Amino acid sequence: MEGKEKYMFINQISVYLENNKGSLRELTKLLAERGIDLLALSIADTTNFGITRIVVREADVEAALNALREQGFVAKQNHVICAGVPNQPAGLDSVLAIIEESSISIEYMYSLNYLIGNKVLMVLRLSAENMSKEEIAALLEGKGVMLVKQEDINRL
Amino acid sequence: MRISENKIYNPEIECMDRESMKKLQNERLRKTVAHVYANVPIYKERMDAVGIKPGDISGIEDLHLLPFTNKTDLRDQFPYGLLAVPTGEIVRIQGSSGTTGKPIVSGYTQNDVDVWTEMVARSLMAAGAGKEDIIQVTYGYGLFTGGLGAHQGASKVGAMVVPMSSGNTQRQLMMMHDLGTTMLCCTPSYAIFLGESLKEMGYDPKEFKLKSGCFGAEPWTEEMREKLEELFDINAYNIYGLTEIAGPGVAFECEAKNGMHVNEDHVIAEIVDPSTGEQLPYGESGELVFTTITKTGMPMLRYRTHDICTLNEEPCSCGRTHVRMSRITGRTDDMLIIRGVNVFPSQIETVLLKVPGVAPHYMLIVDRVNSTDRLEVQVELTEDMFSDTVSDVEKIQKCITEQIKSVVGVTAKVKLVPPKSIPRSEGKSKRIIDNRGLTK
Repeated sequence: MEGKEKYMFINQISVYLENNKGSLRELTKLLAERGIDLLALSIADTTNFGITRIVVREADVEAALNALREQGFVAKQNHVICAGVPNQPAGLDSVLAIIEESSISIEYMYSLNYLIGNKVLMVLRLSAENMSKEEIAALLEGKGVMLVKQEDINRL
Repeated sequence: MRISENKIYNPEIECMDRESMKKLQNERLRKTVAHVYANVPIYKERMDAVGIKPGDISGIEDLHLLPFTNKTDLRDQFPYGLLAVPTGEIVRIQGSSGTTGKPIVSGYTQNDVDVWTEMVARSLMAAGAGKEDIIQVTYGYGLFTGGLGAHQGASKVGAMVVPMSSGNTQRQLMMMHDLGTTMLCCTPSYAIFLGESLKEMGYDPKEFKLKSGCFGAEPWTEEMREKLEELFDINAYNIYGLTEIAGPGVAFECEAKNGMHVNEDHVIAEIVDPSTGEQLPYGESGELVFTTITKTGMPMLRYRTHDICTLNEEPCSCGRTHVRMSRITGRTDDMLIIRGVNVFPSQIETVLLKVPGVAPHYMLIVDRVNSTDRLEVQVELTEDMFSDTVSDVEKIQKCITEQIKSVVGVTAKVKLVPPKSIPRSEGKSKRIIDNRGLTK
């Protein structure tokens, strides 16, 4: 990631999982063997398949992708927003209120099990008509949402 | 109510002695060969290529001299290249699946429709049909020959026809119950499904007046016959046909339920060795080949069905003299019949190649769940198809499902599997796992 992108987004790896017993373990075992630290993991499950999304430190992204692909997984890297949400009642709601009033849709979200200062780290996959994700990120930041940088993630 | 008075529709022809039948076939074969040689360029070219003139064919002994016709010819000559008459003489088009995206079609003159209709009438009457019957046709109506074929035959015997077409189980059973349907024309697997649904919907089987059924358009087994006869308390009869030759009724079972009588005054059946094309004697198992001898619109010389069976010339207890073919025990190609629809793996390949990002590696898995065929198409997921959101992946899955439905005509369950998980074998890869146990 370069320039402004680096400043606004963090890396995420999405992995296709079949609805088979043991398929998630195959993934975690593989990353464990390679010494890759999972900072967050979330699963979207449907009746037919699952998508697992993981966050790792920047130095591990390439290694994780290579390991997964070698093992036969379909894995893809993309960049998502990570927001620091106040760790207090109505903290999340204040952020979602901003998202809603900006006519932005949430495709999915999940949290990292880490705090930075007094902020909970939330991965947000957002979309809006006629807006790039850079514009979405800039808009949220302009309205006071704290965007967590990849370098902050790397220090976790 | 397994009462059936099985009559013979055309005793003069159906019980004709073998010698006279042979004479009739010889005469009609000579006429057909002369007709196609004069009117269908591809037949002339092929006969010329092997140095055969119509005059060299004096009867069925010379049949083996004629070149074969294949399904690929119907594809290559699509739509009118095999017609032996001007299109103005054609009154009907019927079709079925081709091996690629396009269907194959067959053109019928009024004579051909009449010939076909009589073949179905004979079949239905052999299954007990008559003027007093109420015949429910549950085959699909349309290009598929099942619906219209059964309809025409049922009308010909003077029965009351209930043209339900396929699907809508609840309505099928309601009409069957309320109208007092006495005969069912249906694919055997859907008939079993109907039979099993009957009790679930709160009907008492005794309230039904069904006495027999003509089941075809897909291979089935003796076990399925027992099940059907028990579920509905009926006699279940097998009927065979293919669009290229006519449609259902090319061959049919009589009350003996021991092989299907081939309508030999209209078609000549042969069994050949699928690899060498050599004619095999009656009783030996091989590929069924048909030559039509009364069709005028699109006659077929030695059409290879790819169906494997045996022929039996022994006299039948019903009095009919026409040769009997056994149940189909297999295919020489990889065609599948899913819920009555012919499916070729190559069609699925054509579809996959059209969807961006999809690799043409696939596996077809066929199962029968609750008496209904289920087709699962496993497709390898590529990174181009994959995304971090569920909706994007589901969109691809839906797109493939819809394409298969539109090109192949069946609804399949599309399963995305990891790349390289489908085995690659040298040469022709194995694309099908059929768990239905229909063929031996």
